[in-house]
Amino acid sequence: MANTLRLYLTCIRNTMEAAMCLQNFPCQEVERHNKPEVELKTSPELLMNPVLICRNEAEKCLVETSINSLRVSIKVKQSDELENILTKKFLRFLSMRAEAFQVLRRKPVQGYDISFLFTNYHCEDMHKHKLIDFVMQFMEDIDKEISELKLSVNTRGHLVATEFLKQFI
Amino acid sequence: MLFTQCSIVRGKWGDCELRMAGDGSQEADNAEAIISRIEQKSQKIETLLKQSKPVEALKMALEGSPPNTKDERCKSANWIAVHRALMAVRDVDGMLAYLDPEYYDILMKYLYRGLSTGDRPTCEQCLKIHEKLTDKAGPGCILRSLADTVNTV
Repeated sequence: MANTLRLYLTCIRNTMEAAMCLQNFPCQEVERHNKPEVELKTSPELLMNPVLICRNEAEKCLVETSINSLRVSIKVKQSDELENILTKKFLRFLSMRAEAFQVLRRKPVQGYDISFLFTNYHCEDMHKHKLIDFVMQFMEDIDKEISELKLSVNTRGHLVATEFLKQFI
Repeated sequence: MLFTQCSIVRGKWGDCELRMAGDGSQEADNAEAIISRIEQKSQKIETLLKQSKPVEALKMALEGSPPNTKDERCKSANWIAVHRALMAVRDVDGMLAYLDPEYYDILMKYLYRGLSTGDRPTCEQCLKIHEKLTDKAGPGCILRSLADTVNTV
C-alpha cells in the first residue's frame, strides 16, 4: 500500500519535472496580451498531450502542459461520505485563499478536488524543484490532514452525544 | 502497401508527414490490414506468453506499433496486445535490459495509456515500470511522449 503511494508520487514528480519547461509566450490572437495557454486551449500547436496518472479507481492526477503554463489537478482519496464533505470543505477553504499560495487555482478543474496552475513567471521567480517539492509535500500532507479532521469530528460528536444523552439517564 | 499519390509535407518544426492523396476507402483498407496484422501478432504473443517469455512478447507487441493511423480501433487493438504482455512481466530490470533503447519512447507512451485506465493492477504494474524506465531513459523520454502529438498510441 505504502509502496504504491511512493511509486505514484515518484511518477508524478518525474512527469512534472519533464513537463515544467515553460517559457514566455505572448498571446497570438490578441496583441499585448499574455495568457496561460493551457487554460484557453485556443491553439493546438502550443499544447502538449495531457497525461492522466491513476493510482487506483479513486485517486488520480491530471498533468496538462503547454508552452507557457502547466496545470496539475489532483483527485484525493475519499473513502466515505464524511471524508467527502471534509475534503470538499477543506480544499475549498484553501482554494478561496489561492492568492496567498500563488500557484493554486481558484476553482478546481471539473472532476478533480484541487488544481495548481504554474506559469513561466512562477518558474522565473521561484526554483523549479522547489515548486515540485511543494506539490509533493501537499499531496503527502493532505491525507494526514483529512484523517486528523475526521478523527476530531468523530471525537467531538462522541463527546457531544455523551453529554446530551446524560440528561436522559 | 502501394501509395498511389504521396506528398511529403513539412510540418511547422520541420518534421515530415507523409500524406496520402487517396480517398477514405484506402485508409479503411489500411486500417483493416493493420488490424489483421495486429491479430496475427497477438496470437504469436499468446504463444510466447504460454512459454513464459513475457519479455519477448512485450518486444513483439511494441515492434509493430502503428503510430501513424488515426483509427482508434488499430490503436485499441495494439493496446490490448501490449497490455497482455505488460501484465505478464515480473522482472522489470531484466526486461528493460533486454529491450533496445529505440523502444523506450513507445513503451513510455503505452505506460501513460495504462496509467490513464484507472484499473488497479494495471496502474500498479505501470507505476513500477515507469519508475525504472525513467531511471534508465531519463526525463527526455517522458518529455518526448508528452510533446509528440502526431504519433500517439
